[in-house]
Amino acid sequence: MSGQNARTRSRARLAEDLKSWMIMLPGLILMTFFIWEPLLESVRMSLYKTRNIELVRFIGLDNFISVVGKDDFLQALANTFSYTFWSLIIGFALPVLLALLIGETVRGKSFFRTAAYLPNMLPGLAVIILWSSFFSGEKSGVLNILLGRLGIPQQSYLTRYEWVIPIIIIISTWKGAGATALIYMAGMAGVNPELYEAAAIDGATVWQRVFHILLPSIRKLAGTLLILQIISVFQIMYEPMVLTKGGPDNASLSLMQLMWQYAFGGSMNYGKASAVAVIVTLILLVMTAIYSYFNRKESDWD
Amino acid sequence: MNKLIRTLALTLALCCLTAASPLALAGEVIDADLTCSITLGNWPADTAPEAEKALFEGYKATMAKQYPNVTLIPDYYSYTLSNYVPMAKGGTAPSIFQPPFTDPQLLISQNLVGDVTDALEAFGVLDKFSPSYVEMLADENGRIYGLPRDGYVLGMHINIELFREAGLMTEDGLPKYPTTLQELAEYGQIIKEKTGKAGLVFPASETYGGWLFTNIAWNFGCVGESALEYQDEDGRWVCNFTSPECVAAMEYMRDLRWKYDILNADATTTDWASAHSLLGTGEAAMNFAADDSVDQPTAYKGLPVEDFALIPFPAGDAGRYALAGGTCYMFAPNITKDQGIALMAYLKILGKLPFLDDDIIAGMRSDYAAKRDRGASVIPAISAWNDDEYNAAKQAIIDEFSNVDMRLYNDFFDSISEGTITLKSEEPVFAQQLYRELTAVIQRMITREGADVLKALKKAEESFQEYLDDEINDI
Repeated sequence: MSGQNARTRSRARLAEDLKSWMIMLPGLILMTFFIWEPLLESVRMSLYKTRNIELVRFIGLDNFISVVGKDDFLQALANTFSYTFWSLIIGFALPVLLALLIGETVRGKSFFRTAAYLPNMLPGLAVIILWSSFFSGEKSGVLNILLGRLGIPQQSYLTRYEWVIPIIIIISTWKGAGATALIYMAGMAGVNPELYEAAAIDGATVWQRVFHILLPSIRKLAGTLLILQIISVFQIMYEPMVLTKGGPDNASLSLMQLMWQYAFGGSMNYGKASAVAVIVTLILLVMTAIYSYFNRKESDWD
Repeated sequence: MNKLIRTLALTLALCCLTAASPLALAGEVIDADLTCSITLGNWPADTAPEAEKALFEGYKATMAKQYPNVTLIPDYYSYTLSNYVPMAKGGTAPSIFQPPFTDPQLLISQNLVGDVTDALEAFGVLDKFSPSYVEMLADENGRIYGLPRDGYVLGMHINIELFREAGLMTEDGLPKYPTTLQELAEYGQIIKEKTGKAGLVFPASETYGGWLFTNIAWNFGCVGESALEYQDEDGRWVCNFTSPECVAAMEYMRDLRWKYDILNADATTTDWASAHSLLGTGEAAMNFAADDSVDQPTAYKGLPVEDFALIPFPAGDAGRYALAGGTCYMFAPNITKDQGIALMAYLKILGKLPFLDDDIIAGMRSDYAAKRDRGASVIPAISAWNDDEYNAAKQAIIDEFSNVDMRLYNDFFDSISEGTITLKSEEPVFAQQLYRELTAVIQRMITREGADVLKALKKAEESFQEYLDDEINDI
């Protein structure tokens, strides 16, 4: 009798599972077709000599060796880390600050929230083109006109090696900071108000409340956003591609742009392009693993 | 009496109708049996000028009359190498599209385009191709994969207003333009000093810089044994960026920035379109550009045609060379024989084949009228066809719609017709990659004052040689 019950229960669970699987099936098929298969195909392609998108012959790691041995790869790798570095310097704290300021605003909060998010609603390419007029080194460049009024001579911003990456990060931050700030604001809204009240009763100042209550409360959220930011910035491509075309002299060339150049920049070498893509994926996997490791450790300590 | 007149009139009308009908049919329907569909890339977008859209609708209507069973499918597709390859491999490329002359050999070698030799033969135009174009559009077996849309020769666009401001005018009121690369540097310097604007806009981004630099290099002697790339006795392609001629040409580029300071400020981010924009809006006085893009600074950027001139490419110490290139029509790799015929018929209606009839002449007239209406310079075209009758008829129509003082263009066209300039096609193999390597060197030269020319060229040479070995030498 009990055996029959178990079988009935098992059948019911199976039917339940089947329903769940059926619900997931379209998503799984689409993911397999559009994400996993191309991903695995890209790994396979990186191991072959290619003729446009056809695989000619297996060449092992030759594509990787050839790509890594080139100066432009090393330059692109260094640039990509530089993008990440500058994005942390310029772009990591700003959304937190924005969220804090908007959160503390009493009147017109919705206006400031919308205003901060507005750049994110603009198409990415339009933003780049807009800012390219601002940073144009020609006499007609907006920044040159503004600085010219102050008596500062005409400058060429996008042809300076040391300026080009920070400028691109300033533009990306201008576009993306509002959206990230909204996420922080949602996180901050979840902080128990009793903690603030208790701190206020104890005589804590605004900054003490921020540093001792608010920031620790959003630390995990910040950690997650940090790794997402690193992953996103590591794949930066269209910003330098449109603004500087990777120049001057590859000073703003990113790894993803290098990948694009191998595939579509005239050489159609999809094998080497795939090799670059695999390298980028591996680097991001390592970085994510490091983050997860420290995150777990921190949870253990908590 | 009235009845007699009515009978005679009716008889006459019937006779006329009977006699005229076969003629009218012959003029209208050319092939009712040809049945297929063709997808036409580069169809004018909804945002295109009304005149242009009407023109293409007219072509479509004519095609429908002449080939009633050929279905035309307009497609807004605009070719780039990156978007074309997946479409060609996936079988979704438009039947006809328009790549620049830098790409046909690459596309042909990768089996990404369709063969139209038989269709061309059927139309009797195979032998009218200019031989240099046949060379660009055929494989090693002589099979043809494309047709020239238009040819161009690289020269220089001039903003006369800035020349006037700098006092560089002749007594006849014409711009005193540079005839040599040395004069280009000197005149550019005068313009920069007198007007504060760039003497020369040089698009040194992506592949544009290298593309223009090859012209300068040829004029410094990078031809023949000193060519930028050549095939050695064993048939191996060799990159040669470190010849004394190429080094001298690159030193010249460096001097344009650091000695004469005539380049536009953002040269490393300037592309083809923004170069035209800077010239058209009076931010630069000179731009290396061709006869096929005279509408860019004028019609699109508002430079009045009377303030615009087209001059020959300045000569160097080793001669006067200029690039001859253009845009071509190519075809999807999976086109059928019938589609090939239909595509040639469509190109014939567009006036792109060397045929003359009333419809084609009307099409040409509409084309030049539209050009004049939108404020572009209407100037002679460099024909890709060796057909005197066709070329003369085309010239007559151009003369009719001309809106410019030809004294501002004559030296350019005379240099070609009189042979005082040597026309060259692009570097033979993997030109885009070669340009990319050279652009990187140019960017280094114009952004780092003390950059070592030879060292940078050596590095680029090694990189491009590795590419050649990998792609074509199969080492």
